[in-house]
Order: sequence, then C-alpha cells, then structure tokens
Amino acid sequence: MKLLILALKNITRHRLRSLLTMAGVAAGMFLFTAVETMQHSLAKVTQASADDTTLIVYRENRFCPATSRLPEHYLPTIRRIKGVREVIPIQIAVNNCGASLDVITFRGVPAEDLRKYNPDLVVIAGSYENWIKRSDAALVGETFAQRRGLKTGDKFEAVGINVHVAGILKSKESQDNNVAYVHLPFLQQASNIGLGTVTQFNVKVTSSDLLDPIAKAIDETFRSDSQPTVTRPEKAFFAETAKQMIELIGFTRWLGLGAVAAVLGLVANAVLLIVRGRVKETAILQTLGFSRRQIASLVSFEGILLGLLGGAIGVISAYLFFHWQSFTLGNEGLTLAITPSPTVLLKGLLVALLLGLLASLYPAWRASRQHVVQSLSQ
Amino acid sequence: MFITIRNLTKSFKKGPNLITPLQNLSLEAPRGEFLALMGPSGSGKTTLLNLIAGIDSPTSGDLMIDDHDVARLSRAQLAKWRSRHVGYIFQLYHLVPILSAFENVELPLLLMPLSRSERRARIDAALDLVGLSDRAQHRPTELSGGQEQRVAIARAIVHDPGLLVADEPTGDLDGESARSILALLTSLSQDHGKTIVMVTHDPKAAAVANRILHLEKGQLVNPTATPASAVS
Repeated sequence: MKLLILALKNITRHRLRSLLTMAGVAAGMFLFTAVETMQHSLAKVTQASADDTTLIVYRENRFCPATSRLPEHYLPTIRRIKGVREVIPIQIAVNNCGASLDVITFRGVPAEDLRKYNPDLVVIAGSYENWIKRSDAALVGETFAQRRGLKTGDKFEAVGINVHVAGILKSKESQDNNVAYVHLPFLQQASNIGLGTVTQFNVKVTSSDLLDPIAKAIDETFRSDSQPTVTRPEKAFFAETAKQMIELIGFTRWLGLGAVAAVLGLVANAVLLIVRGRVKETAILQTLGFSRRQIASLVSFEGILLGLLGGAIGVISAYLFFHWQSFTLGNEGLTLAITPSPTVLLKGLLVALLLGLLASLYPAWRASRQHVVQSLSQ
Repeated sequence: MFITIRNLTKSFKKGPNLITPLQNLSLEAPRGEFLALMGPSGSGKTTLLNLIAGIDSPTSGDLMIDDHDVARLSRAQLAKWRSRHVGYIFQLYHLVPILSAFENVELPLLLMPLSRSERRARIDAALDLVGLSDRAQHRPTELSGGQEQRVAIARAIVHDPGLLVADEPTGDLDGESARSILALLTSLSQDHGKTIVMVTHDPKAAAVANRILHLEKGQLVNPTATPASAVS
C-alpha cells in the first residue's frame, strides 16, 4: 500500500506524459470494449442456453422476410402438436433485407395474442388498449423509438407503411425493443402480401429439451404441403440467418486484439522511459535499503496504475457510449442490439490491469537488476 | 557500530584491464567514532565507503560491522541490513523532487513495519533534530542547498541506524551551510553515538572528525593520524 501511494506520486511527476499515455490506453481500451460489447451482444442472441424455448418456423429455402410466405392456417395445426405452449403468426416488413445499421422492422401480430404470447412486454408510454382499438396503431420498441425520436401520438411512415404510435414498449428481449408491433391484418394489407399469409410462426414450447423434437415434428407435418417449412430454435435461426453480420462482427475480434497489443506497447514504452529516466533515483532507493522485489513492485505499480486508470476511462466511456447511443445492427429483419454489459465492463478493467502488469514486467526487471554503485556514478 | 576490516580488496574488470581500487586494506573504528577518509581522486575513498555502506561487495577480505559479516551477505540480505543499520548521506543530497521534506524523510520507514503515527513521530523527531520542523511540507525545490542536505541527513537518521556514511556531504555547500552540517554530524557522533565515516577533500571538514585516514592507490598511508596532524 505504501509503495502504491509512492507509485501514484511518481506518475504525477510528468503529468503531461502520464496523461498522454493514459489517453492512448483509454482509446485502445475503448476500442477493445466496443469490440467485446459487440461480441457479447452477438453471443447473447446466438448461443443456446437451457432457458431457450422458442422456435421459428420459416418457409423452406427462404431467408429474407420478403420471400418467406406461409399460410396463416398452419397456426391451429402447429398449436395441436404435443409440447407446444404458445404460437403466434408474424408478418414482417423491413426496409432493408441486407446487413444495415438502421433497419426498420414492422411485426404484424394478432392484436389479441401479443400479450398472451409475450407477457414480459411492458408498455412504458401510451397504452396497450389504445393499440388494440386502432387498426393502424403501432407499439414501438423503446430502442426503436429512441433511435427515431418517436413518442406516443406521433405518426410515422417507413417501408411505405403509415402508422400511429399508440405506445412505447420495453422488453427483456432486445428484439422486441427494436421493432414496431402492428396489427397483423393491417400489415398484410399495407405491405400487399395479402390476408392469410404470414412470414413466420414463433412457437414457444414447454421445455428446452423439446426444441428439436418439436421442430422436426412441425417440418414433418408440412413436408408434403405446398409451403414446406424449416423450423429452428430462435438462436440457431439468428445465427444462420444473420451469417454476414456474424462474420463481420467476428472479424472485429482482430481489431480488439490489435487494440490490446497497442495498449501493451504504449504502457511498456512509457514505463521503460520512466525507468530509464530514474536510474539514479532507483539507486538512491536501493541505497536506502529497498530490495530488488520492492523496486520491481514500485515500477510494476506505476505500469498497473497507468493501465488501470487509462483503461477505466476507456472502458467506462465505451460502456456509457453504448448505453446512450442504442446501436443496432440488422440483417434480414433480425436485429442485434449492441448493449453494454457489466460483464464486459469488468472484463475490460481486468484486461487493463493485466496489460499494465504485463507491460511493466520487463522494465521492472531491468530497474531491479541495475547495479547500485554504477547507477550512482552516472 | 564497531567496524573491523581485514585485508579488504576490491577489484573489477574494465575492458581488458583489472582495476584494483582497494588492496589489502585493514582498519578498525570503534562505536561512535567519526572517521574522515581523505585522499586524491581514484585513491579508493568512495569504494571503501560503498563497501562499508553495503552497496558494493568486496572481492576478498573481511568486513565486520558489529556482529554482521557484511562481506558475505547476499544482495537481498545486504538490502535488508542497509535498511536497518545504515544511513547514507550524498554530496548532492539526492532527494526525490516530487516528495515533500516529510515524505523524503519517510522513505526508509516505508520498509519498516510501523504504523502511520509511529512513522510521523519518528519523522517529526528527525526533522526537529536537523532544525527543519517548519519546512516539513516544502519540496526540495523550495529549500536551500543547506536545508536540502539537512533533510538528507534527517532521511539518513530517521530509522535510527548505528552507522552513517557520508560522501562529500559539504562538497556542494557554501561555507556557512557546510559548518552547520559538520556541526550536526559531530553532534550525531558525540551525542547520539553514531559511527560516522565521511569522505571529503576538504581538510576543514576532515578536521571535525576524531580520526583522519589518508588513502593512496587503494591503501592507507597514515592509519593512526589525528585530525591536527593530518590537517597540518
């Protein structure tokens, strides 16, 4: 602790140099945290877990919502399959089927079924009842509304569809926060798909163990039908459908590694400069009785402090940036919300600490090995 | 502290040449003695001082300080021994510029298992002894050369070592400040029982010591000289 305070005083000795080093570390750790936030957000929507109980039924060999057309009358047949808890037919209309940073997605659902299918939806502005009453009404996800600056009572037009905002909703599912829910018949007519046709069915099953058997059962049921289906767990559906987006985000891992390497080099250089500029002073401390271990610890603490302080600025900035900016990536109507996570925050701080330590190992070793008498006579 | 040196030799390689700044040197200094080392440049004064201070190791010979066989201690043992038993005073003070006088004096105490209040008491006493209680929060740049050297002396004595080594402690000071520092060192020897070994080129400074030793080419030339005879 006493050495830590001394190290803190030492890094204030060359304030500008320390500030510039910390600014560089902050920039690198901002980039690292941004990449990690994307990776973490992606993992959240693609990695299966025991809590997953949702299946997506899509038209076989179709990927974009614009080309997946299934008869709405499949609904009762799917509902009758053993293990199915809830089914909802969904019509989807998107402004862009490819990967995009600004995807607008309408989800047309039977008004009376939305709450039953998804009881976690909370209307935070406006009212659910107003949405039920008005055929052109939309319940807009919180992130969507924030991105577009929408509030209750507004009218907006997208994808050639005019809607009235009846309420703003919030959900635990990031997908819900990034779409506008409208009435199914309204969307079928407004998007010229026609009544009786939907893009997909979302199916909730009673247990995650039943995901695969029920998916097989659904596809088997409609195999010989005019519109055969392909049914996958929601996360697998996301992983397969949004391949481009996933590849793009996968590539960013290299940017994260580059940022880490840059931070490592920056801190190592700064600490090496500190050690070189303080040869005589280190010898004085050795003369006073500081051991090699204590000299090495003092130098390491300085590296760790530079890494940790700069890292904290970068990591916390990135966390707040993603918290306030509500970035989303969309592909084929699916939305990936880039949401900051406390796990990523802690990981960033830990990485910054370890980088500081790692970067100062060699300079600390050098400082502790210097010859006292030779250093004093410099 | 009682210093006993027998046949002490220090040599090292510099390029192809073997340099021997000290050769078969022997001497004894009783507890509380103030010893001055004089001699021309390259005579081995500072080498001897560094060996006694435990920041360098001899090539051969014995170096006993009290019951510590300093010549045979490992590097880590020497560091620990220095932190307990030695105070080093440099010609150019070598205070840490970002630390206040108080914090500079505190440095040796950071290595000891002392509470904050215990450290504070010791630092206050050391600064009081050197007459700088009112400058405790001043940084080195805010002090005169004489005051900086007093802070350096406070740093050297704050952990109550038995042995003080001083390398030209008045070499960078004006006459008045030098006299004041020498008086302080004399007091530390006479009143506080510190054994002091001081390297100096200045005969006036050496005159305050109990004994003056002259070195030439790594050997003592008048092992029994008294201050009066040596200075004259």
